[in-house]
Amino acid sequence: MIQKPHNHDVSEQGERKIPAGWLECPHCEASCRDADLPPHSELRCSRCGERVKAAHDSYSFQPALALTTAGILSLILANMNPVLTFDVAGASQSGFIITGIEELFRQGYWPIAILVCFAGVVGPALSISSKWYVVAACCFRVRLPFVREVFDCISLLRPWNLIPVYAIATVVAVVKLKMMGAVFWGFGARWILVLAACSLLGMQYFDHEFVRKRLKDLE
Amino acid sequence: MKLSDASRIEVSRALVLTGLILYIPSNVLPVMTMTIVGTAEPLTVLGGVEELYNSGLPLIACVVFLASIVVPFLKLGALAWILFLHGKPAYKKERNTVHRIVHTIGSWSMVDIFLLSVLAAVGQLGTLAEIRAEPGALFFAAVVVCSLLAAEIYKPRLIWQTDTTQSA
Repeated sequence: MIQKPHNHDVSEQGERKIPAGWLECPHCEASCRDADLPPHSELRCSRCGERVKAAHDSYSFQPALALTTAGILSLILANMNPVLTFDVAGASQSGFIITGIEELFRQGYWPIAILVCFAGVVGPALSISSKWYVVAACCFRVRLPFVREVFDCISLLRPWNLIPVYAIATVVAVVKLKMMGAVFWGFGARWILVLAACSLLGMQYFDHEFVRKRLKDLE
Repeated sequence: MKLSDASRIEVSRALVLTGLILYIPSNVLPVMTMTIVGTAEPLTVLGGVEELYNSGLPLIACVVFLASIVVPFLKLGALAWILFLHGKPAYKKERNTVHRIVHTIGSWSMVDIFLLSVLAAVGQLGTLAEIRAEPGALFFAAVVVCSLLAAEIYKPRLIWQTDTTQSA
């Protein structure tokens, strides 16, 4: 189903007012008239073609909660265990995620260290924990403090959850290091892969429209 | 901090231009030096890809080439095209699609920065092996940040701005 977009008024604060019965396209922000959807159908913005709303027969917050909980645990374990061990002629060294950041700081490349720290540790941690907080509120129907603000932060943090990219970089690093010596996978690397899988699957199960609706019901 | 639409366009243009300028030193200067048993080898981004390819790993070399060289350039080029056409009625749907693609694939250019971090973490074995970051990595990180921020600041709704003015 394709809806004709419409443009609504803008408040003095620069925020667009979306009246009841209208939905905002998550991509181009055009207003589309809301409609009851038949099963397995979706509402698309006629301006940009992005999905505005989908009909779920039985949408549940539980898979998203399970994946974000698993994500938080794997994030902790990924940071607590060594990612790789490199061995050259009997001398070996193990490295955690934080070891790389520390080493870049030590070498004087603090802007890169900050970038890696933010995109590889802080960004994913904030992104997953904020999702968990919002999904937990929706799943247990509890009105948690600042849940609306946390929900707004999720889309801001989305580009900074780069754990899947970190997982690819780890694989490339193993390939490069194998040319010079022996490399052994650490438990941290396995948890990074689990975390990457949880992050990617969590994105699929986190339906912004349903979450927004549930949060509105809780208010 | 809320940016006005005009500021968003100006800041995005500045970031894209900065990214395009910094793209040159990020590819010319070495991003890391690998020292193995006293033999130091400075590696540029392309040099790293070549090394992987020559080692019989064309698939991995292809992934790194796409993520570290093609994606940042395409992203900056695409954003430059979108910003150049801003306010004009041409190719609105195409610009919208390109923006969506840029937003989705853009973060993959961080592979090289993370790679440097992982290698630096385990590559400190004194005289046997040492991996050091080089200034090229700083330029590369700046290119990645510029492109990520430009894509975030230039909202897709700005592509349709002339439509909004007409119907309002």
